[in-house]
Amino acid sequence: MNKLYRFLSPLLILALLLGSVSVAAAPVPTNELVSTQAALSAERPDADRERINEILSRADVQEQLIAQGVDLAEVEARVAALSNEEARQMAEQLEQLPAGASVVGALLFVFVVLLVTDILGLTNVFPFTR
Amino acid sequence: MTTRRFRPLLNARFAGVLLSAISMMLAGCATTPQLAGSTEASLPMRAMIEGVPFHAQREYQCGPASLAMMLNSQDVEVAVDTLIPQVFIPEREGSVQPEMLATTRRHGLIPFVLNDTFDALLTEIAAGHPVAVMQNLSLPAWPMWHYAVAIGYDREAEEMILHSGEEAERIESFRRFDATWARSDRWAFVALPPGQMPEAIGAYRALDAIASYEQVQGPQATLPAWETFAVHFPTTAMGHFALGNARHVLGDREGAIEAFREAVRHDGELAVAWLNLGLSLQNRGNHEEAEQALKRAAELPGQWQAQALDALKRH
Repeated sequence: MNKLYRFLSPLLILALLLGSVSVAAAPVPTNELVSTQAALSAERPDADRERINEILSRADVQEQLIAQGVDLAEVEARVAALSNEEARQMAEQLEQLPAGASVVGALLFVFVVLLVTDILGLTNVFPFTR
Repeated sequence: MTTRRFRPLLNARFAGVLLSAISMMLAGCATTPQLAGSTEASLPMRAMIEGVPFHAQREYQCGPASLAMMLNSQDVEVAVDTLIPQVFIPEREGSVQPEMLATTRRHGLIPFVLNDTFDALLTEIAAGHPVAVMQNLSLPAWPMWHYAVAIGYDREAEEMILHSGEEAERIESFRRFDATWARSDRWAFVALPPGQMPEAIGAYRALDAIASYEQVQGPQATLPAWETFAVHFPTTAMGHFALGNARHVLGDREGAIEAFREAVRHDGELAVAWLNLGLSLQNRGNHEEAEQALKRAAELPGQWQAQALDALKRH
């Protein structure tokens, strides 16, 4: 598996780089204006490095999503729909991000505590306590 | 021998820690959420959004199910089965917040993340906007993350109404709802087509939401959102600036110049707006006016100075 990623990630980075270059190199007949997105991210110094980091983090997110079982055919469109901030967040902490619908460990102690908190109206784990 | 002597002490200490932890949790969570005075007075006592389709979740797929309800309620016809490969992460058995927003964008709606207050949540529902919320139905130590769609409330009965899990129009007390919602830092968003604005959103949150949408869907699809933004937040210079950029890319050069002028009228220090104003005037051949604008951009300290000086040299 690891070998596959080592092979895949340069390709992903290249694909993303090419993708972004083609946008930048679109024919511009006149002065090019500063885009809204560039102006909004301008508070951060060193915009070029920012841009490279962003491309790298998007490649990283793609890789992580594939490793987590996301369909290869879908992964590119999924990453493309993330904002810069979201892509950074996903790249840095996908493991820690809460995902909808985790399962609670079936320990008796946990069961009892959650039963009590459910009855107290602090949680909503067991349907029969409502 | 020694170990045996210490054991009761350790147990007592453990029990004490546990008790104080539980009482801290109780003190921290067990209150009915309070509304700010101004919301209190203006918000209707009850509200219910009719016609939000319900999709029961299967397995752990509350993310795709909630998203389908959000999209369908705005007439975006998409099935849960289409959304599963777009937002669900198999190994995590769930969906993460950034991808809930990203997938909303892919389907042509703008996701606006609300500020983390009960006021904003109820205000949006009263305005007829279903709100996707993230809850932790369990305790922080053993999380049970869950997405649901809030569609109504009753302030007298202190109850929320949600399409949640396998239950349509589930009723949850304000207290229990807020306790579970607070564990996601009260994360919530509304999804609206470009041109519609949430009721309870600040200018900068809205600006970010629309700019992120534009990055994915392009200026043509986003133009109505910028137009509405400029009406909603007329004094936010960045909004006029963004509107000018969208118009410029779509070929409306006059409209763009007008919007850039509006931007610098509201904030004379917004160097990037002076710069774009100068550049578009230059493109049009208004060299004198362009020079004035570019000079302003070059005077203001910041990262646009170099570009403004460059444009002045080309002059």
